[in-house]
This record gives sequence, C-alpha cells and structure tokens, in this order.
Amino acid sequence: MITMTTTTTTGTPVLEATNVTMRFGGLTAVRSVDFTVNSGEIVGLIGPNGAGKTTFFNCLTGLYVPTEGTVSYKGTVLPPKPHLVTKAGIARTFQNIRLFANMTVLENVLVGRHTRTKEGLWSALLRGPGFKKAERESEERAMELLEFVGLANKRDHLARNLPYGEQRKLEIARALASEPGLLLLDEPTAGMNPQETRATEELVFAIRDKGIAVLLIEHDMRFVFNLCDRVACLVQGEKLVEGTSDVVQSDERVVAAYLGTPFEGVPEDSALDEVEAAEAHSATSTTSVEVEGDQK
Amino acid sequence: MNTLPQQLANGLLLGSMYGLIAIGYTMVYGIVQLINFAHGEIFMTGAFGALTVYFYILPDGTPMAVAVPLMLIGGGIVAILIAVGAERFAYRPLRGAPRLAPLITAIGLSLALQEVVRNFYPGADRARAFPGLDATHDLGSITIKDADIFLIVSAVVCMAALAYFVRKSRTGRAMQATAQDPDTAQLMGIDTNRIIVIAFAIGGFFAAVAAVAYGLKYGNVDYRMGFLMGLKAFTAAVLGGIGNIYGAMLGGLVLGIAETLASAYIDEIPGMQQLGGQSWANVWAFCLLIIVLLVRPQGLLGERVADRA
Amino acid sequence: MTDTKTTPVTPAPTTRGVLPLPTAAARPLLLAGGIATAASAFLAWTWTAEFPGDLTINGYPGGLQWLTVVAGILTVLFTLASYDIRGLGWLLPARNTAPLVLTALGAFATTWFTIIAISVELGGLANLEPGGWIAAIAAALPLLGALALPQENTGNAKETFKASIAKAEKIPAPAAVSPWIERLVITVVTAIGLGVFTYGIDTEYGELFVGYLITVVFAMWALHTAGLLDRFSRLVAHNRSFTLAMGFVAAIAFPFTQTDDHYANIGVNILIFGTVALGLNIVVGLAGLLDLGYVAFLGVGAYTAALVSGSEFSRFSGVQFPFWASALTGAAASLIFGVLIGAPTLRLRGDYLAIVTLGFGEIFRIAVNNMDGDSGPDITNGPNGIPSIPDLNFLGFNFGQSHDIGGFTLGRFANYYLLMVLIMAIVVLVYTRAADSRIGRSWIAIREDETAATAMGINGFRVKLIAFALGAALAGLAGTVSAHVTYSVVPTPYQFAGSTPPNSAFLLAAVVLGGMGTVAGPLLGAALLYLLPEKLVFLQDKSLLAFGIALILLMRFRPEGVIANRRQQLEFHETGQLDVPEQRIDDTDDTAVSVTKAGA
Repeated sequence: MITMTTTTTTGTPVLEATNVTMRFGGLTAVRSVDFTVNSGEIVGLIGPNGAGKTTFFNCLTGLYVPTEGTVSYKGTVLPPKPHLVTKAGIARTFQNIRLFANMTVLENVLVGRHTRTKEGLWSALLRGPGFKKAERESEERAMELLEFVGLANKRDHLARNLPYGEQRKLEIARALASEPGLLLLDEPTAGMNPQETRATEELVFAIRDKGIAVLLIEHDMRFVFNLCDRVACLVQGEKLVEGTSDVVQSDERVVAAYLGTPFEGVPEDSALDEVEAAEAHSATSTTSVEVEGDQK
Repeated sequence: MNTLPQQLANGLLLGSMYGLIAIGYTMVYGIVQLINFAHGEIFMTGAFGALTVYFYILPDGTPMAVAVPLMLIGGGIVAILIAVGAERFAYRPLRGAPRLAPLITAIGLSLALQEVVRNFYPGADRARAFPGLDATHDLGSITIKDADIFLIVSAVVCMAALAYFVRKSRTGRAMQATAQDPDTAQLMGIDTNRIIVIAFAIGGFFAAVAAVAYGLKYGNVDYRMGFLMGLKAFTAAVLGGIGNIYGAMLGGLVLGIAETLASAYIDEIPGMQQLGGQSWANVWAFCLLIIVLLVRPQGLLGERVADRA
Repeated sequence: MTDTKTTPVTPAPTTRGVLPLPTAAARPLLLAGGIATAASAFLAWTWTAEFPGDLTINGYPGGLQWLTVVAGILTVLFTLASYDIRGLGWLLPARNTAPLVLTALGAFATTWFTIIAISVELGGLANLEPGGWIAAIAAALPLLGALALPQENTGNAKETFKASIAKAEKIPAPAAVSPWIERLVITVVTAIGLGVFTYGIDTEYGELFVGYLITVVFAMWALHTAGLLDRFSRLVAHNRSFTLAMGFVAAIAFPFTQTDDHYANIGVNILIFGTVALGLNIVVGLAGLLDLGYVAFLGVGAYTAALVSGSEFSRFSGVQFPFWASALTGAAASLIFGVLIGAPTLRLRGDYLAIVTLGFGEIFRIAVNNMDGDSGPDITNGPNGIPSIPDLNFLGFNFGQSHDIGGFTLGRFANYYLLMVLIMAIVVLVYTRAADSRIGRSWIAIREDETAATAMGINGFRVKLIAFALGAALAGLAGTVSAHVTYSVVPTPYQFAGSTPPNSAFLLAAVVLGGMGTVAGPLLGAALLYLLPEKLVFLQDKSLLAFGIALILLMRFRPEGVIANRRQQLEFHETGQLDVPEQRIDDTDDTAVSVTKAGA
C-alpha cells in the first residue's frame, strides 16, 4: 500500500526527550522527564488524570515550549514550533478530536499532506503541469490512506458528519498523511466501544508494520498492555516507572498511584483541575507569545 | 499654555477618559472573549442619555451641581440598558458560534446604534451642544477646568469602587472565577449569565461616566463620537493587557499621555515637522498600538489570554 | 434536519388546507386565479399617468403590471406542473406544493404592492380604476387556492403554514442528459439571469425596483423549494469552467444591452464593488481573518494610480504610467501596506487583527486628509483629492470616448465596464484557483482550527499573511481602475462606514450577506447593496441603519448568507448523508454515547 520513504530498523531511537520540564506559573506539570521511543516500537504513556501526559505531548509536538529540556527527533533537536515538528516527522492526534469539521474527508487528509508538498500560491494560480501532477499525487496518497483506515467510500462527506469512531480514524489518516516517522496518539480509544477499540488496536499494529513508531496515551489498560512493547507511567508530572507491560503492570507504585483507583477519571482529583486551570491560564497555544511573569 | 506639565495634565485627563471606556472592553473580553465592538456606541448613547436629562427633563436653569449627578444617572441608565440589551438579544444567542459571528453582529450593532441616534434624536445629525463646566483654575503652571476635576475625581472613584467590588464582593469573586474558566465556574454554582450581564452593565455605566465627562469637557456631543473614542479605548485595553482592569486604566493613561505628547512635540523632531498637531494624534495612537503588539503582545500588565480549545 | 414535512400533492386522508376550503377547489382556484392575475394586468389600474410607469392603458401593461404578468404566469406554470402536464414535470421534480404557495404569494404581493403604492402615492383608493380592483381580487384568488392546498395539518395555523412553504425533503435525481443539453440549460439560465439582472439595473423608479425585488425573491424562493436551484447548482458543479465562461459572456454582453451610459456606470460601479468584495472574501471567507479596514487598500490603489496618472493636480504631475504599470504599482503599494499591517498582527489572535485593520483604515483616511502640504506632507492634496485623472488610453483605444462596435455604441462607462470585467475575471480566477489548492486548503484549515492546522505542519502565520497580502493586492488593483472611472480620488469613500458603497462596512456586509466563501455570494451581495441605495433614494438616509440591523439578524438566523457555500450545501443536501450533530465526548464520558453511533 504505502511505501515508507524512511525505512528504519528496530532499535535506533526516533524520539529522545531529555529532562523535559514544563511549568505553568508556580505549578510544575511535567518534571524532568527523560523519554525515548525507538523505531518500530509501540510505546504507551499512562498515568492518572492530571499526571501531565497531554502536557508532555504538547511539549513534544511544539505546542508548548518546555521550560527546560530538549526534544530531538532522529538525533536533531526539534524547534518548539508545531509546524516544524510535523515537518520533521512527528504527527499527532488530539484527545478531543480536532478535525477540520467543515472540510470533506478527503480534504482533511490533503491538509495533512501540507508539509510533503510545496506548491505555493503562484503555482496554484498558474496551474502548470507540476501543480496538476502534485495535486494528483497528493490525492492518490490521500486515497491510499483513506483505504488504509477504511474511509475511502466517504471521501466527499464532511468530517463533521462522520460517526465518532470514523472521526478518530480520519484523524489518524490525516496524521499519517504527513508521512511521519513517529505517530503520537492522544487517547485513541476514548469514548469507543469494545469492538471499535479492537479495530483501533489492529490499526495501530498496521501502522507499526508500516515502519512508523507509535507513542500513545491511553486510559484503557487492556488496550495499552496488549499493544505496547514498552509502557511508561507518569504520575504528578514525573516518570514513575518504565518497562515492559509485565513490569509496569506489577509495579506496586503504579498500582498504588493508578490502578488502585477507577481509571475513568477521578473528579476530585485536584491535580487535574490545577493543571487545567494553569494551562487555560497560560498556555502558549498557537501564538508564539512568550509567557513572562505570569500573574496568578 | 503649552508647557510640558500642562501637556502631561492634558494627557492624563484624556487618558483617564480612555481608561474608563476601556474597562468595558476589558471586562467583557476577559469573561466572554468578545470584542464588544459596539462599546464605543454605548459610550455615545450614554452621552445622549445625559443630554436628554439636561435638556428635556430638568427645568431650565437647574444648577450644574444638581444637574450633573442626575445626568450621570440618566446617561448611566441608558448605557446600561443598551449594553445589557445588546448582550441579551444580540450576543447571547451567538455564544458558541464561530468567532466571526459575534464580531460581525457587533459591527452591525454599532452601525445601527449610530444611525438610530442620527435619525431619531432631535438635532443629532450634527454636533449638539452639551452643558459645559468651563470655570478654570490655575494650579501653578497648569490650568484645568471644572470638567477636568469632575473627570479625574470620577475616574478615581470608579476605579477604586471597581477594585473593591472585584476583590471583596461575592459577585466580584464569582466574576474572577468565570473569567478563569466559565464551565467550571458554572459547575461550581455560579450563574455565569448573570456575571456576564453584570460585566456588560458595569462597562456600560463606566462608559456613561466617561461620556458625561466628555460632554462637560468639550461642550458638544455627536453621533459619531463613539467610533474613535471606542477604537482608542480598545487600543488602551490592549495596551494595558486585555482582561486586566488595572491594565485598562494604565493603558488609557499611557495612550492619553503618549498621544498628547506626540501631537505637541513630534514636529520638533527633524524630518517630522509636518506630522505634529491634533490632526495626526490618532495616527500616533494607532502606531503605538502596532508597536505594542509587536513588542509585548500581551500588553503592559500582560495576562496571557489562552486559546481555550 | 427540519421538523417540517411536505406532503405530496395527492391528498392524504388526514390532511387539509391551512384555510378550511374544499381541497378539490385548491388547484382550479390557483390556475384560474393565476390566469386572471396575469390577464388583469392588461386593464387600466389607475386613471392618471402620475403614477410612474403609466398604468392607465387598457390592453397594454406598463411598468409594474408586467411584473404581475410574470408572477401570474409563474403561478400558472407551477400549477400546471402539479397536474402532471407533459413537458412541465421538470418544474416540480419533488411534486411538492411549496412552490405553488410561494408563486401565488409572489403574484399576490407584487400586485397588492402596486395597488397599495398607487393608493398611497396618489392619495386614496379613489384613484384606482375598476381594473385595479379586479387585479386586487384576481391576485387574491391564487393565494386562497394555495392556502387550501392539502397540507399535513398540525392544528397550529402558523406551523401548518410554515410546513406548506418548506423545501422538498427529497429531490429525485434528474435523469441523465447529454453534456450538450446540460450546457444548453446553463446557457439558457445564464441568458435569463442576464435579462433579469439587466431589468433590475434598468428600473427607472423606486416602486418598480421594489416590485422587481418582490417578484424575484418569491420566484427564487419557489425555485429553491422546488429543488430546481439545487439541481442547477449540481449542473454547475459538473460544468464549472463552462459556467464560468458563460458568466463572463453574460457579463460582457451587459453593456451591449444598454442604450444609456448611466446604467453602464452603475454596472461598472457594481463590478468594482463586487471585485473588492470578492478580494475581501479571500481574507474573510477563506482564511477567516476579519479585516475591517479593507477599503483602505482600495484607497491605496486608487491614490497610487491617481498619483502616476499624469493628472496635473498630482504631486508627480509629470509622471504618466501606462495603465498596466500603474495597475501593478497600485497593487504592489497595497500589497506592501498589507504586509506592513499583517506582519505584526497575524501572529496574534484574530480579534487583534480586526482592531488593527480598523485602526489602519482610520489612519489611511486621516493621512490622506492631512497630506495637503499644510497639516502634513504634500502628497494627496488633502480633502480636495486629486481631480482630472485622464482617461485610459490602451493601444490607441481611448476609454473616454464612445466607440461603435458592431452597431452598438459603447460609451465611456461601458468601456471601463469591459475593462472591469477583465479585472473581475482575474480576481475570480485567482479566487477559485487559490481556494482549490494546497494553499487554499490550508487557509480553510486555519479558519476551522488553527491549533490542529499547525499540528498538521501548516505555518499559520505564513499562510495567513499570504491571504492577507493577496486580498490587499487585489483591492489595490481594483482601486487603480476605480480612480480612472471616477475622474478623481477624494478621501471620503475610503472610510469605515458611510451611506454609499464602497466602504469597509458595506464590503463586509456584501460578503456576509451574499455568503462567505463563495464566488457568487459577494458579487450578488455587492450588486444588491449597491442597487438598494441607488434605486431607493428614500432609503439612502436609512441605509446604514438597515444594514446594521440586517447584519445582526443575518448572524442570528442565517449566518451562511444568501448563497451558502459548498460546505454548507454538502452539510444539508448531499443525498444519503446523515446530519450527525457535532459530538463532544470527554474522556470521562461513559461509552454509551458512542455505542449508539457504532455503525462503523
């Protein structure tokens, strides 16, 4: 189906995060996390709500500028700009699906191809043969991906009109369109029923078989331990344990911090509220505004 | 009388007027992330409300000491009614709509308010005389009018009252909570709709205070006065850090002083001889806005505004 | 989608009309009434020719009466189609009654508007001839018939009426026809469209224009509920380039249909206004950037062109650029200003851009007012502007003179009109090509969700700046022509709000009213917004008030504008597509919600 431009052998590190720390005002959401994902690996990131998983994801993808530490992809340090991170080869999905709701399924995937195409305004206006060729190729690649996730027959539907499970699939297809070497999935099975979760599991394996390393955040323990070669547990912004499923599953600290509580979310969890409030308060979001002297 | 202290005083006065109007922008923006583009027109209707009280309700020859408080009340009522009505009927139905929708509504509202006044208020198609407070006082090297005293006193009183209200009262704290996170605030039992209405009402009243001060100081009002004043007050709010009420006042003062000094002294800079004077003041005010956005986009008292997605 | 239902024409046992008349009488009444209405237009309605259009002649309709004829005939046609008359079936593909009701309403409204206008303007009902009374009664008949049409009756008169004018839910797909027939249909429709539009521009008095608007609105509404507009837009989608070409042929044909250069002047002004609105649509409709000072870019272009036009009042009166050079200079100057304004602000939230552009518009107005040598540098001649801009001269073709082409005389404005058609063609081409490309998709993506777009590798700042600068350059280009058309440039048109177009508020209103993100929308919006104050002199004073209120209502009730763009059409009208409401599922939600949706 899709031929990967970069073929990698298992073992070489794709993503290396060193000493990543993220502070919002007085609150430290992520504290000195070292983290590696190797090529061909599926790595899971677990932790109770408010442990800083999504914040860590946002640091990896350039949405947040880490207070300290660096993130590098295949040996090069990534600049903290989301579009450059994607260009380098890291694609992501969002916890609360963020599709382009009023674009068609095909267009959504075509937007994902943005970094792998170059046609600018002039070429769009003049419509030379190069432009047509590039558009055709993009469309072919996008259709391959839609077939891969099983949405080819819905290419002209608006993204907003897809059922929930298909929206998740589309988001993954859109991320794959940027031809990443590493795919970050933020709770890919949130809100799914068991069958859909099974299907997603197979999809993730299929992605790995394409030679793309996968890092995922998930609350569904069975899903994580079935799928992942390696699991890391984040608690209160710190990496508590890292290892194979068995190791993490049987680690007492993890059980205490996490598995002992119902993992569908603890509303009273104060850490969650704090992090959310802090993020809402001082997220760097899409603007490149530097956060300075945040009053609290 | 164009000494530096006089210019500074002029700037300070102009700035406190900007600041009073800017409070309305900043409070509404802080809570619902909406630029209430029609706020300048609310300021304008406040002026006409006060004018109505003076010319059509009070008997002729009412002493100004009695008239001014009543005009404040009249202008305040008009401005509050319009501000709250705009929230209720124009903005509230659009909550959750794409961001462009309320902005366009606000533009429509601003045009409609201007035109209603122009078409239906007697004599409002050109400047209408407003009772002035023109008695002057010499304070050393500066001269100020009674209207200036009214302006500065009311600005200080309003700011102090607002600061007290926001910090100490229950509603004020609820307001802070709503600004932080409307959804959570609602879950905590705060009636966010009420908070939003209160924010609009306070903004409206402050605009009316500024409007009365404007009328007393300049001696006339017209249906277009809200456009430029609103624009510059918004500039002041951005300058100070939008969402921050102290920032709004500070931004107003900085803008007022910068504008006054620029129009007084910029023509002394070689090469800019012809760019001084009142006619270029607005240009410098906007240039200041652009520079601030470039250098410190979060404003002087920068509270960052998050992308709540 | 909607809770209203349209009932088939064949009466179901539980249905009856909005009015308690025998349902069997409904369609005969419609038919007879329609014919009677059309026929009554041939009578004299009033005794004096004081009412414009001369409605005093028996046997020959005048002015507004023609509109009654058209509305009556439309009613008859739709009624006949509902009888399954061969050859008319295409008018009512869904066999719903709504078009009947709406055409009847249209005939009624057009006729009664005329009757009331006569009575009011001439001072009383006494001014009506018997023919006028007959027309009033005849026009009421089809309405009675329409209201007696069988309807699913909910008992609530208002609800039932709403149901009776609802659009058909399912429109059967048209039978496949050869592409040549499709093109023929497009050609015919374009020709009719040109005719209707030309009639509107040529209306000589306000009453006729209002009557025209009433007729056209009801007719379009009827066509919409019948599903014909959907069918046509599908045809257009199949033959995009052909339709575009036909559109331009029609646009070029317009001045040849005109005998009076005054109407060509209106035409050229609409084109300038529409072109600028289309440029604004790139910025607002595609990229979602609210530009409130857009008219300033038009002003920059106009002033630049005026300065290098060779006008003796220009600061550089010795300089006279050829048109292509001054057009490029104007566009480039606007582009530079666009980048200067955009670069600092496009990094920030969109709201800031709105205010900064508003400020820029204001700076522009103040600056051109002051740069008269007294209160500022001597560049723009202040409030007096730069007059006596010479006419263009293109390869020996003087735009200022009349030319005879194939028996038609093209006056000065007709010449500029044709030039403007060319400019608009460029802008339409730029718009459609840019929208359907990598860069256009990234604009829409940024508009939809900026965070997600940057996470897909889009450099938000860069693509927004391109959109902003492109929009500015196109406005500047249009400005260079407008400087020559109007002989002079003065500061007054280039402000935020004013009672006549173009100004930034009108431009925005044109885009929003017509439909953001479409090509036809802003052009239609611009035409309407230009013609309304032009034709309705009494409205000129209140036009801004009306626009303000219209903007508020529009955002509240139909934010997508008159012409919804393809996305909204897809959203509602694509066959077999569910309108699944936007779902928001938090990670703490239980899975029950999605289980119900687990069709995948």
